[in-house]
Amino acid sequence: MKLKMNDVHKFYGEGDNRIEVLKGVNCEVLDGEICVLLGPSGSGKSTLLNIVGGLETADGGCIDIGDDCTSDMGEKELTMYRRNHLGFVFQFYNLIPNLTVKENIEVCAYLSKEPLEINELLKTLGLYEHKDKLPSQLSGGQQQRCAIGRALVKNPSILLCDEPTGALDYNTSKEILALIEVVNKKYNNTIIIVTHNNAISGMANRVLKMHDGKITKSYVNENVISAKDLDW
Amino acid sequence: MKNPLNKRLPREFKKNAGKYIGIFLILITTIMTGSSFLAVMDSAEHTLEVNDRECIIEDGHFEVAEPITDEVIEEFSNIKVNVNPNFYLSVSEFDEDAFLSVFSERKDINLASVFEGELPSKAGEIAIERLFAINRDIEVGDTISINDCDYKVTAIIAVPDYNSLFKNNQDLLPNTTGFGVCIVTDEDFAKFDKNHITYRYSYEFNDDLSKDEEKQLVEDMQKVLVKSGATIGSFLTAERNQAITFLREDMGKDGPIMKAFIYILVGVIAFVFAILTNNTIESESSIIGTLRASGYKKSEIIWHYLSPTIIVAIISSIVGNAIGYTAMIEPFKGMYYGTYSMAPLELRFNLEAFFTTTILPVVIMILINWWMLYNKLSLTPLKFLRKDLNKKKQKKARKLPDFKFLTRFRIRVLLQNKVSYLILFFGIFISSFLLMFGMGLKPLIDNYVDEVDDSLTYEYQYILKAPVEIDNAQAEQILTHSLKTWFKLGKIDMSVSFMGVEDDTTYFSEIPIPKNENEITITKPLAEKLNIKVGDKIVFKDDYYDKEYKLKVANICDYKGSLTAFVGQDELNRILGNPEGTYNAYVSNEKLEIGEEYLAKSITRDDMVGTAKELMKTFESVMGIINIFAVVVYMIIMYILTKTVIEKNTIPISYMKVFGYNDKEVGKLYLNATTITVLVSLFLCIPIEVLSFKYILVLILSKVEGYIPFYLPLWLYISIIVIGIVSYFVINTLHVRKIKRISMTEALKNRE
Repeated sequence: MKLKMNDVHKFYGEGDNRIEVLKGVNCEVLDGEICVLLGPSGSGKSTLLNIVGGLETADGGCIDIGDDCTSDMGEKELTMYRRNHLGFVFQFYNLIPNLTVKENIEVCAYLSKEPLEINELLKTLGLYEHKDKLPSQLSGGQQQRCAIGRALVKNPSILLCDEPTGALDYNTSKEILALIEVVNKKYNNTIIIVTHNNAISGMANRVLKMHDGKITKSYVNENVISAKDLDW
Repeated sequence: MKNPLNKRLPREFKKNAGKYIGIFLILITTIMTGSSFLAVMDSAEHTLEVNDRECIIEDGHFEVAEPITDEVIEEFSNIKVNVNPNFYLSVSEFDEDAFLSVFSERKDINLASVFEGELPSKAGEIAIERLFAINRDIEVGDTISINDCDYKVTAIIAVPDYNSLFKNNQDLLPNTTGFGVCIVTDEDFAKFDKNHITYRYSYEFNDDLSKDEEKQLVEDMQKVLVKSGATIGSFLTAERNQAITFLREDMGKDGPIMKAFIYILVGVIAFVFAILTNNTIESESSIIGTLRASGYKKSEIIWHYLSPTIIVAIISSIVGNAIGYTAMIEPFKGMYYGTYSMAPLELRFNLEAFFTTTILPVVIMILINWWMLYNKLSLTPLKFLRKDLNKKKQKKARKLPDFKFLTRFRIRVLLQNKVSYLILFFGIFISSFLLMFGMGLKPLIDNYVDEVDDSLTYEYQYILKAPVEIDNAQAEQILTHSLKTWFKLGKIDMSVSFMGVEDDTTYFSEIPIPKNENEITITKPLAEKLNIKVGDKIVFKDDYYDKEYKLKVANICDYKGSLTAFVGQDELNRILGNPEGTYNAYVSNEKLEIGEEYLAKSITRDDMVGTAKELMKTFESVMGIINIFAVVVYMIIMYILTKTVIEKNTIPISYMKVFGYNDKEVGKLYLNATTITVLVSLFLCIPIEVLSFKYILVLILSKVEGYIPFYLPLWLYISIIVIGIVSYFVINTLHVRKIKRISMTEALKNRE
């Protein structure tokens, strides 16, 4: 699904403490692309991702998703938007601690009319043998695989990944990125990865660089390399 | 420098206001109810003890047909017994069939305590007992008429020999509305018709005697009376006089029950605190880890997290005791002063009540919190920083059957909060039980009254002084006699009324009268109270004649409301060794004309049913308090515990919202587990509450020579469940609002 951001503004605070964290963001991500959003801490990339994800609302501008615009949506519509179109992957996995791996994935499967077959997905994620374990029994990489499975199970058109490798070691990070690559090829979702790791941009079709609330650089990557060949 | 962590305290109270208000209310409710109840009970016991001593309560009394001579009184004096006249006039139709015993002045024994006014000092003045006055709106200064003579009420009083207003010692309960006592001057008393005066003499032993010595002296007194030629109407020791002993025994019963309630409630509060403390530690794990890593000592952190609990506990104790010793005294006073004719209450601070209701809950709360903190803080700072507070190795997931996802999700919520839900179950049990008790007493007693009414097959019973033939087809001769049997549970000698009925009885024709010797038919209440089956043998004692009888139970009849044994009249005469054909009473459906010289006592259906109704009075003042208390406890425990379920899952709830669940769906996932627990608990608790109620009823009645069958109407069970559900849904609404307020940014903020 095509995603277009038109002059997106976001403010935090009131009066003298009012800070503009997004200062008119404009960009476009095409259907099935992997887009990497790069930038240092405080550049506004997570805020932008939250607005795209309908977790926060923009104070100005709009985000067009297909034929819809998020600024026209109320709370209920935003909930349905997240339910029908989006999948989230967080830096710290955000798994529900008292549910098993399979049940964590079922949390989102329940929301979809046509969810992916869970056992097959578990096999794709390499978690089938761990499906009855609690998150606390898994390694960080396995937990992130589970989080990806949870996001994917509704087969969302857009997968939003906020620092998906931020809490993982080098090898596990590469495994997770490779998994994202596989998922993109298999399910053709649009994937936005927020990261401060420049190396990850190598696997992206589109790269957006942010600084101080603005997109400072936006380009289409002509030399996409496989995630397993990434190095940093 | 002051500890900067203390600045968190006001913010902590503000942030968790609901939780602290809940704890505050539950502690205040427990402390104020417990302290006022126990203080009133202790003060009433103290008042009774002091009053008995100061007003020189009798050791017993006897009634004779004619006044005894000074020589006889002198003879009593020689065996170290002070005997004082305590004559009275029975007024049977004072006001709508109310009975009044008018006594002469009391100078040496059973002295009156004055609530208001002054004792009569001249002719035409009268002092009237408090309850009788209240029930008839009689006040000091009013004029009342007795036997066509007007008397000005000069005092409202209580007398120690009638602290329970038993008109007859055989009655089941005191008669607070239809019987009273009053005192007139000797001058006025002398004007009464001598034929209507009962010559009662109250006695007091000169020395402190053992029970055996007392018994011996009583026998000696009876010999003196018999030797003097006096006709003894009755001889009643204070120990067997219900008008004196009933209150003391009633007081003894309430205390342990109330204390048991307080202990159970304190236990529940303690567990609620344990859960809350555990949740606080879990949610503040990273803060604790940071503080420990920064060099804060374990004791400093314990003190910091204990402070809110200590502050709430101390404030609750002060407020609870302040309310308990002021506003709550009057309702609990009503528990005694609405039923008993006691001297004015001397309220005193009760150290035991203070310990039970205040020190104990507060110490338990602090100890539990301290123990939880101490135990948890044995973990390393790193573990706190990593939020890894499990001492055990990684736990495995509990395997669930292949239910639908939603069902499994709710089961997971149930398992995650199993301790909270278990405590919730106990909380619901206690609250529902209190409700059942508070709401159930009235229907229970109403049913008892109806059963007494239904079971009476006759309208009048006449106890005779001497046999007299009556020419009335409705009149049926019976032989009544009271025997005692040992009631193990209550550790008392309980009176059983024996009815010897004629072979061709019409009033008791439905009762199977045994044909064999030494066999009896007992009523169902008697069988249930003594736990007796057909074929069992019961040992009865006759204190008067010092005889023992071992009788076999041939039948148990469905004759409700009384502890009675039925036997053929001839057989009862044989058992008691009476001449053949002896009878001492009539039963009839018509009023009989029996000369006063033959009549000892007449009892109507209204008397018998009215006595049963009196039971309600004892509980009226406390039933409202119990019900309010129950609902408050119910709602607070429910609120605190169900809130912890949401607080524990704030972040997962936030995740759910991020994933696309709407508020209603999230509510269903997290609140339905609680709803199911509440509903299942409400229903499951009912049979346990019924069993507890039955047990408490047995305890309450163990000291009473009566039996009230257990009965609760269906509407009461429904009401308890409906009140439970309504209370829960009020709380649930608050939680739905709370879930709505959980922001999706929680998921983004709480990253680790």
